Amino acid sequence: MMNLVKVLYKKEMLDASRDKRSVMAGLYYAIGAPIVMCLLFTVLLKQLNSPEALSITIENAGSAPNLVRYLEGHDITHGESGSVKAITLIISKKYPDNMSQGKSAQVTIVADKSDNKLIKSVRRLEGALARYNSEVASLRLISRGIDPNIMRAVTVQTQDQATPDSKGGMFLGIATLSIIIALFYSAMNLAIDTSAGERERNSLALLLSHPLSSTQIVLAKVGAIASYSMIGLVLVLVVSKFAYGMVPWEQLGFSINIDVMFILFCTLLGLPIALMSASLLVFVSFMAKSFKEAQSYVAFVLFVPIGLSMMTTYDIGTDYVQWIPIAAQQYAMIEVIKGNELPIWQVLLSSFSTLGLFAIFAALSSRMLKSEKVVFGL
Amino acid sequence: MNKYGKPLIKLMQSCLIPLAIACSGLAHAQQNQKLLTPCYVDGLEDRLMCGVIPQPLAKQNGDGTIEIHFAVIPAIKETKPTEAVLAFAGGPGQSAIEVAPIFARNLRYARENRDIILVDQRGTGKSNLLQCDTDNLKEQFAFDDQAVSLFKLAKEETQACISKLSTDLSNYTTVAAASDFEAVRIALGYETLHLYGASYGTRIAQEYMRQFPNSVATAVLDGVVPMQQSLVAIGEAIDDSLAALFQRCAKDTTCKAQYPDLESKYNTLTSKLVEKPIQVSVRHPRTFELIDLVITESKLRGAIRMALYSHTTRALIPLVIDAAHRGNYDPLVGLLGNENTVGAIAMGMHSAITCGEDWPNITDENRTKYKASYFGRLMIDALDASCPLWKVKPVNPDFYKPLNTNIPTMLLSGGLDPATPPSWAELTMVDMHNAKHLIAPTATHGVAAQTCANKLIGEFIDTRSFENLDTTCLEKDNTKQYFMNINGPVASQVSEEL
Repeated sequence: MMNLVKVLYKKEMLDASRDKRSVMAGLYYAIGAPIVMCLLFTVLLKQLNSPEALSITIENAGSAPNLVRYLEGHDITHGESGSVKAITLIISKKYPDNMSQGKSAQVTIVADKSDNKLIKSVRRLEGALARYNSEVASLRLISRGIDPNIMRAVTVQTQDQATPDSKGGMFLGIATLSIIIALFYSAMNLAIDTSAGERERNSLALLLSHPLSSTQIVLAKVGAIASYSMIGLVLVLVVSKFAYGMVPWEQLGFSINIDVMFILFCTLLGLPIALMSASLLVFVSFMAKSFKEAQSYVAFVLFVPIGLSMMTTYDIGTDYVQWIPIAAQQYAMIEVIKGNELPIWQVLLSSFSTLGLFAIFAALSSRMLKSEKVVFGL
Repeated sequence: MNKYGKPLIKLMQSCLIPLAIACSGLAHAQQNQKLLTPCYVDGLEDRLMCGVIPQPLAKQNGDGTIEIHFAVIPAIKETKPTEAVLAFAGGPGQSAIEVAPIFARNLRYARENRDIILVDQRGTGKSNLLQCDTDNLKEQFAFDDQAVSLFKLAKEETQACISKLSTDLSNYTTVAAASDFEAVRIALGYETLHLYGASYGTRIAQEYMRQFPNSVATAVLDGVVPMQQSLVAIGEAIDDSLAALFQRCAKDTTCKAQYPDLESKYNTLTSKLVEKPIQVSVRHPRTFELIDLVITESKLRGAIRMALYSHTTRALIPLVIDAAHRGNYDPLVGLLGNENTVGAIAMGMHSAITCGEDWPNITDENRTKYKASYFGRLMIDALDASCPLWKVKPVNPDFYKPLNTNIPTMLLSGGLDPATPPSWAELTMVDMHNAKHLIAPTATHGVAAQTCANKLIGEFIDTRSFENLDTTCLEKDNTKQYFMNINGPVASQVSEEL
């Protein structure tokens, strides 16, 4: 019996590989997605980051030469040309008076804080001004014979448990999302072709006329589809490893590092998902009456795993979402890439339930194949 | 006993208050996971990895072991897992791990791709700290160091420290310590290191290069101490740095108008103090209780000297001198109470270095030369008193040879450095065949912390060469305007009332 499945599996693999263009079309995602995403990330990082030499407009700079020089020391300068950020620092007319009399001297920052491209630069300016403020205030105290440390009634020492690998936040979510999706997309065409397509080419009935059970046929098809999913997964992981390595994450103080261990882990973790995905796609395709209909249904059904994955990506799920298949596996991937402990129970439970779903969809499909209505698409 | 001695001795002996820098590595942690545990350092949010290895205390077997502690600041994106930056702290006597926040800043570009390793040199920090007792601020303020014989005082202080530590300092010299750093490198599994030394750290870095040239890919020496020169030569640098400050004030119209004849006021003040210390009652800088302050020459000069290290405190010097000259000692009290400029120098370890390396090789000719400056005199007197008691074995004369090396070496000097002026770096590089000396004209001690040098260091470590290094940014003037009154750098306006 297993032998028959093997033979059939080989046939399905051969069949699929013959149509090279459609196989490649499925794998384009796996190759293209990480590259496109990394290009986007690179642009995004550049925009989010404040430029090394920040050029802003400083009004009335002559009234506060010491402050202006301090800002220059932190690479924040007054500029006139095109690269000037839309941030204006206005030094009040009374600045020198107030400074010399120990009154608070005013400077005004004018900027649109809803502009994501500006926000880091604004914060940098605010930070530099805060440090200048505390520097002058400390010197004022020293010149009065007072230890400036008394201004620090409480010293706040933060111990950040994050590592450079774990600070990626949403970037990590998006990266893992693209990996999970590869499992579903790489073999989508193949799944439709081998089920709904086979039916339309009238070769399904021929297949069923052989001394095979419908379960064997379904298992062989699911196996072939899952194999292509896994190829897609490995491909997306390998391409990601190199593509993410090129993104200058370090400028934002973190890195996304896909190592060989992570690739192996994902491959293992992806196996049940690939089986489940394949059986789901076959099931949905057989439910549809025609090839085209199958395409629409499949696209629609894939929203469910993608939705689950999104919940993890944007961290909007409640705690028990972390136990649901797909969401749980992605959560585990994020934890592993962060270097945290592997959430072993989530992984085991979700993997088993994923395999359970695979069994259910496979059983349903094989039951459907016993119905002539399904086989002939009536 | 010895109520008073410590701070003065500390001042006399602390040669190079270092803006220390250090580094540690995390890279190859995989096979050494057991060695490293997560840890944190005050002032730095990032999670470091700390570890400890045992090292023989003495080269000759026997004598037991010493625990060498180290920390690794993990790279942001570890693209060079076989390399790390090893940072050496200054002092001598500073803990590299304690000043991790400074190293993390100075080496932030280098850290983007490489771990930074910080090792507490033996005798400092957690590696068997050799610290003598110090007085609290109240005792320091009240102590009249001119009323006693400095020589006798230094001897008493030293004796107290000797009985506290009861150890042979000969095991704590630069030469003895270098192999600890190599042992840490091997334990962590790095193939090559980029060295970054600041202040005294440049001496141990050079010694490390001499003993383990194959472990070093590049070296950055920031505030360079030449092997062939005693730290006692620092006195001249202090005087020069202060003279530059006086000159700048005299050239600046506002400063000149506000503080005319600053230099002569300073000289008047010091000679007045030499004659007779001034006794006043002041407010404790922190607790605000009324306490006694005996202002002596050494306290005034010491406070000014410490203030010379950073442009922030340099901004106060004209005000402090002018006010004190007019009988207002509040700004001086502020400087005296601003303890943190000194940092934690392990005085026992400091003595091991100075008595083993800086004291034995002072020729009579140099002795006269160094004694031309106040601090040179002070230090030589202190060493003459304490070193015969410590009995540190003088280092091998080869130690004083300039380092002969092909390793790419970047030397950084600040033009206003009150400790290691640019001429020291020139002396250092006489036998270096692939070295470049970069001077930031307005920087003080520790160029990486004040200028764009941190970026240059990152590029230099990446490329291992000086080509394409754009060093013009070092020219940037980073001085600050002097305080014109106790409120800030703006001279009183044609004033309405306050």
